[in-house]
Amino acid sequence: MSILRIENLYKSFDRVVAVNRIHLEIAEGEFFTLLGSSGCGKTTTLRMIGGLEKPDGGAIYMGEQCLVAPEKNIFVKPEKRNMGMVFQSYALWPHMTVFENVAYPLKLRGIKGAQAEKKVAEVLALVGLAGLEERPAPALSGGQQQRVALARALVFSPRVLLLDEPLSNLDAQLREEMRRELKSLQRRVHVTVIFVTHDQTEALSLSDRIAIMKFGVLEQVGTPEEVYFTPATPFVRDFLGKTFLLPGRIGALSDDHVRVEVRGVGTSSLTVPRINVISQSNGFPAAGQPALVAIRPEKIALSSNGSGDGNVVEGTLQAVQFLGDRYEYTVTLGEETRVIVSPEAQQLKTGGKIFLELKAEGMTLWPSEG
Amino acid sequence: MAKTETAHLEIGSRAWLPRLDGGTALMAVLIGAMGFYVLYPLALIVINSFNTATIAEPPVYGLKAWKDAFGEAGIWRSLWNSVKIGIVLQVIALPLGIFISWLLARTNILWGNALEFGFWISFFLPGLATTFGWMLLLDPSTGLINSWLRQLPLVSGLNFDIYSFAGIIWVHLVSNGISTKVMLMTPAFRRMDASMEEASRMSGASALTTMMRITVPAMTPVIVVVFLLSVIRIFSSFEIELLLGVPWSFYVYSTKIVDLARQEPPLVNQAAALGSVILIFLAAFIPIQRRLITRRQFTTVTGQFRPKTIDLGSWRYPATALVALVVVLLDVVPLLSVLGGSFMTRFGFFNLPKTWTLEYWKMALNDPRILQGLQNTLIVAVSAGVVGALGFSLIGYVLVRTKLKGRSVLDTICWLPSAIPGVLSGLGLLWMFLGTPVFRPFYGTLFLLVIAQMLGGITLATQILKSNFVQLGKELEESSRMSGAGFWRTYFRIVFPLMAQTMVLVAVIKFMFAAQHSSAIILLATSETRTLSLLALDQVAAGYREVASITIILVTLLTLGVAVVARSFGLKVGIRAE
Repeated sequence: MSILRIENLYKSFDRVVAVNRIHLEIAEGEFFTLLGSSGCGKTTTLRMIGGLEKPDGGAIYMGEQCLVAPEKNIFVKPEKRNMGMVFQSYALWPHMTVFENVAYPLKLRGIKGAQAEKKVAEVLALVGLAGLEERPAPALSGGQQQRVALARALVFSPRVLLLDEPLSNLDAQLREEMRRELKSLQRRVHVTVIFVTHDQTEALSLSDRIAIMKFGVLEQVGTPEEVYFTPATPFVRDFLGKTFLLPGRIGALSDDHVRVEVRGVGTSSLTVPRINVISQSNGFPAAGQPALVAIRPEKIALSSNGSGDGNVVEGTLQAVQFLGDRYEYTVTLGEETRVIVSPEAQQLKTGGKIFLELKAEGMTLWPSEG
Repeated sequence: MAKTETAHLEIGSRAWLPRLDGGTALMAVLIGAMGFYVLYPLALIVINSFNTATIAEPPVYGLKAWKDAFGEAGIWRSLWNSVKIGIVLQVIALPLGIFISWLLARTNILWGNALEFGFWISFFLPGLATTFGWMLLLDPSTGLINSWLRQLPLVSGLNFDIYSFAGIIWVHLVSNGISTKVMLMTPAFRRMDASMEEASRMSGASALTTMMRITVPAMTPVIVVVFLLSVIRIFSSFEIELLLGVPWSFYVYSTKIVDLARQEPPLVNQAAALGSVILIFLAAFIPIQRRLITRRQFTTVTGQFRPKTIDLGSWRYPATALVALVVVLLDVVPLLSVLGGSFMTRFGFFNLPKTWTLEYWKMALNDPRILQGLQNTLIVAVSAGVVGALGFSLIGYVLVRTKLKGRSVLDTICWLPSAIPGVLSGLGLLWMFLGTPVFRPFYGTLFLLVIAQMLGGITLATQILKSNFVQLGKELEESSRMSGAGFWRTYFRIVFPLMAQTMVLVAVIKFMFAAQHSSAIILLATSETRTLSLLALDQVAAGYREVASITIILVTLLTLGVAVVARSFGLKVGIRAE
């Protein structure tokens, strides 16, 4: 059952289109992430859901209730939407204590006195800040401020929790810790979360589903595994993780496989399973068409000799770094240089030839771009 | 080897006398000079309140001046009047200023920038122009508005008298009472992180609740600063009360001091006694003010700047109309009225056979007194500007960039003048120049006026310079030092050129202060050294309204005109929230 439905949502700022007619359905209890680089429209979408920004077209529904529909002149004010929000800057009110900050939404809902104290204490315990009620908000560390912001957004049991890059102001270690806590918190409270981030690690590790945005358009919506392993567009493929791209030309086609002729990587052709072909119109793939083979570094095995069957290509080893639990091999393949991680030491010479075995299930085939 | 060095240093730092090096000497010179300049005249006021002989006579100490002064009810009344004006004014102006700043900075009011500029104009509009403009409109018998009211049915009995307590409050409001607050608070409101308001909306608060519970409380530090600046100005206010209060014998403390000092024979000792009372009050108040202002406040500014404003909905147009009306009352009405005063045969008489005339302008531009006044004003204002910018840039630099001991003392001395009413510093300088034989020849020269006017705006000037030095990358100077340049060479070859633009702005600010204000020099000027603003006060007092309009227009051009030019070069005045 979807709690939030977005239809044909459109918003522009001074003739620059920020959100371009997107459709989304978010299920009750889901941890849903809007992922994209800055300026892609993800924050604008979130703010339109919260009512802090008015769309120019389309509609947003919460359950059966229409929250906003400019064509029908409907707009529910942010304070009437019953959504909690955590801001990137936390936006704690500096003139209030922790308790006053968290109790504010309760006060506005007529909850006062002992009942409010109980609720605040509960939610502060939930975010791990029990006992800090009387501290002034600015006297807290960054991580604590963020927990207060979270408590404030959760204290009135909102139907939807909106998170606008809440982890981006924390240092790396704290960010990782908060990421884990956020996930377990969401499971316990079972609130629907809409999370905006530009950090793919956060998106992949936290989300039930991810929507990847670019220039105001949804590129792909799916589970973390779906968007990572079967990206629908070149943008999604290049945005999430790293890939080697090998340009080639389509050769023989069979029911199960596509052969791709490649040059300059030691072998003449690669075999890609048919199911890994990113389906496109215009009759792709057909023999003779230019194409790209994409493979993630983690689907590549290194070896010093050219043995092994199937897709073995030749690259150059640029550098090796030992990082304790792993080795990082900087490898140039074709025209691209990427890092391949391996737990084992290899008897390889820097600057020398290296053989790479491309695992069939890790390859995807794309029509040549441009 | 290293050990001996450490030991040596320890002894050095424990030594009784600081090592006499260039830095300490520079600091001593600066503190000495500024102390002599700022504090000595004030000390003279206190000392001479216990003197019963007049200036330039051998002192005879006694309590007579205090007894005489406070035996008279008039002095008490004048003090109470100052306080009363201050309270009534702030009660009206502060909430209004906060509300207008909020509208301008945080809502989607129309033409926000243009309206804000209107308050900026009002801030630089000489108080003399606003006061006189409204005098022409609200004079009980000849005021234009009053004669219009008489012609209307129903309200014909209505008559506004500007020569009243309400009139004084009104003119305070439309001259600087509102505009200072709006000008200082709007940028601070604008810098506030919008997500604090958005968080409140998301918590379930309406736009109005958010303003009352979040925006205004979060801005408290800035509001307190602005309020304290206004409170201290209660005792600085002078021209309005002189023009609107003295005609019906309503004195505030500053006009009372001038009245005492200008009586025949002059009661300067009583004036000093009255001044001392204010100095005692300020001595208690300034430390509180400074602590509150300079204490590290909670920051309401975040790195993320999002100029997201609140949608006023259907209130957008009434709100815009309200603020626009205030701007019209602050700028347009008084300016038109003063202009009208100078071009009309008789102001407000539109049915005369010859309504408009250039006669007064022809007269004025051939009037040697006006030309003399213009010359005096230019000499005083330009000197104050140039000397002020050069001198205070060194002070600002020393305060920000060096670790010399005594910086806090120097900083405090530079803070004082903003709190010292012009009339008092004028009175102090009068004692200093007439009472000290070496200085006496300077009395009656423009030099004395330059000295007095340079004090005006010291605080603002050093604050602007300080904040600019802070922004100036320290590496630029350090690399000069590493290249082998000493302190002075670095200052003149690196810092000075980099700060040139700021110095020009400081010079312009000091120029405007000097050209506009008359309270510090009213006791020091003679008929030969009168500036335009003093001349205008005399002309108004003598009833030459049309000529006074022209003098006031000249003062306005010198201040507002210069301010507008300076703004195009980036002059910005504001308070930082931190």
